[in-house]
Amino acid sequence: MKWLAIYFKDPRDYQILFLCSFLILGIGARDWTLRPEVICVAIGTCLITQLLMSFFLSKESPIGKSLKSALITSLGLSLLLRVDHWTTMALAATCAIASKFVFKVGDKHFFNPANFGIITALVFTNDAWVSPGQWGEDWWYAIIFAGCGGMVLKRVGRWDTTAAFLGAYSLLEAVRNFWLEWTWDVFWHRLMSGSLLLFALFMVTDPRSIPNTAIGRVTWALCIAALTFILRNYFYLSTAVFWALFALAPTTVWFDTLFQGHSFKWKVESAEC
Amino acid sequence: MLSRIRHSLLSTQYSALSTQHSALSTHYLLVMKLKFLMTLFVLCIALLCFTPAAWAFCGFYVAKADTKLYNKASQVVIARDDKKTVLTMANDFQGEVKDFAMVVPVPTVLQKEQVIVGKPKIIERLDAFSAPRLVEYFDPDPCEQSYARESALPMPLPRPNLPSNRSARGGDLGVTVEARYSVGEYDILILGAKESGGLQTWLNRNGYKIPREASSLLKPYIRQKMKFFVAKVNLDKFEESGYQYLRPLQISYTSPKFMLPIRLGMMNALLEQDLIVYILSPQGQAEVTNYRTVKVPSDVNIPVFVKEEFADFYKSMFQTSYTKEDRKVAFLEYAWDMASCDPCSAEPLSNSELKDAGVFWGDKSNNVFITRLHVRYTRDKFPEDLIFQETSNKENFQGRYILQHSFTGEAKCAAGREYKRRLNKRFELEAQTLAKLTNWNIRDIRQKIKQKNQS
Repeated sequence: MKWLAIYFKDPRDYQILFLCSFLILGIGARDWTLRPEVICVAIGTCLITQLLMSFFLSKESPIGKSLKSALITSLGLSLLLRVDHWTTMALAATCAIASKFVFKVGDKHFFNPANFGIITALVFTNDAWVSPGQWGEDWWYAIIFAGCGGMVLKRVGRWDTTAAFLGAYSLLEAVRNFWLEWTWDVFWHRLMSGSLLLFALFMVTDPRSIPNTAIGRVTWALCIAALTFILRNYFYLSTAVFWALFALAPTTVWFDTLFQGHSFKWKVESAEC
Repeated sequence: MLSRIRHSLLSTQYSALSTQHSALSTHYLLVMKLKFLMTLFVLCIALLCFTPAAWAFCGFYVAKADTKLYNKASQVVIARDDKKTVLTMANDFQGEVKDFAMVVPVPTVLQKEQVIVGKPKIIERLDAFSAPRLVEYFDPDPCEQSYARESALPMPLPRPNLPSNRSARGGDLGVTVEARYSVGEYDILILGAKESGGLQTWLNRNGYKIPREASSLLKPYIRQKMKFFVAKVNLDKFEESGYQYLRPLQISYTSPKFMLPIRLGMMNALLEQDLIVYILSPQGQAEVTNYRTVKVPSDVNIPVFVKEEFADFYKSMFQTSYTKEDRKVAFLEYAWDMASCDPCSAEPLSNSELKDAGVFWGDKSNNVFITRLHVRYTRDKFPEDLIFQETSNKENFQGRYILQHSFTGEAKCAAGREYKRRLNKRFELEAQTLAKLTNWNIRDIRQKIKQKNQS
């Protein structure tokens, strides 16, 4: 992977590469019926909103660099959100990026932008949905996601969040499975969901919007896992993970107050050197 | 190519047992109706039994030991809006009526007004409306292309319509009879249970024979506080009714749970079972959330000889797709707004028929979207019950297969000779498509194409 490191100095470069690959993989191998124009709308709207809001509202990072984050958000929306009309995607993309500028404490936003966009579209429009079964439950997808996610997490140092979320969620599902006396293939089937793994590796780990300290992140991830478990099994929400993250995102601020630490800044490797 | 295209619709329905062909009028041939029978296997829930033996929708069949009723297909209609569900279970029980019984886990206690006997025709109508279809076109005379004009074709003609309660003291076993009533020819019990062993014992004591393995499968449903809908046939009422077959049962309830319990239907572990689910929603397409939902191959040109063997074609194609997807996906066969169809394989359902199918959203009755899912499941690949969700996806989809008849007259002009030259290439392409879709031997296919052309 050294060749990658030559070209990619920023963890976001890896993220963009992997998310693009997943999008291609999904369209090519999982026969998603994604419309190219909707993907273009997601990317275009995210980038334009980021440019405009950075220009008018923000004095922080150079505009060029913040565009990478906007691109990641747009790819996340394209992967997860399904819409009947492009305007819904435009709304989701606009709200996703705007949430970074509106819902923040100090210089830190606390909603995951893509997650915020998804919830906005689900709540305020009639033609948006999420397809939790779109990846299936194939083990090789799990390996691909885990491998790619691991490379990004290694660079941003947020593997603890994924581990806490997946560990706690698995444990809760295992206890339920044991109590209901389902056979264990039910348990594995529930955990092998490609959508769940993608969420755990790429969404719940966004370093800019999650708690700063390891203890804060782990506790926060445990709460998200518990809420996801409750929403999925007792309220029968197929989009439980997104609602759980959305509901608990604001508590990031409280966790940061409770466990003080430095907020995350994107760095390129050359700068670190 | 556009001139005087005549197309005819060949619609199919499946039936596991039979294939019917019906041909229609001049311009439109309604060719086959593959009635893939699928009497769907049962929704899952279910099951079971009484006296000497029992049977269950979607569930586990509990037939007499020597009666092999397994490996059948079941059909279920689910009309759902918000949290209300109306579930119609086709009754394809083929044994002695007195042997019929079923047990279906349901989320709530169902009162008498929540259970009705449905009209048997309604499932046939839904099947006919949503079945995969053959469409046939005829090449025009290539030498007349210069004067070609598109013929005004009338809409394809619609296909003709296709045609004693037992002692129930269960307190000591932790079984509660929550409700008991008769509906049509069925005697219904709604049972609550504290533990599966008690429920199994209660059912056995009351004349229902259920498999030993049932206890472990019933437990998860009991622990989720689900109730058990138990139905058997009241023979006196059945005879009075004059019906020869058992009619579908339709239940309605309000619950956020949008699922079909197929686990109970998988007692016979290794056998594949087919389930066709028709989901009616005011919103849009429905999909399975805990398995992938995949479209069946569609809109492909295949050799014209398939017209005579469409049933075999579809079965082979489905089996090939099923194997290719590693036997663990739900197939989407049809998704369409019920106000229209193009081409129509059957007349769209009238408002009263939709109501019979369970559609309850009154003033929105013009707004019904149908999704037809075909799930072939086995115990090893489908460990979990099916969970569904409605989406806002209004994209239309249908399983549609195209027969393009070549022009068989004499072509004397240059364009005609060029047309004839290209035909072989087209036939080869169709042969390869068919071989890929069905896994049939390409040589046999080529041979059949040749024979067809010669004839």
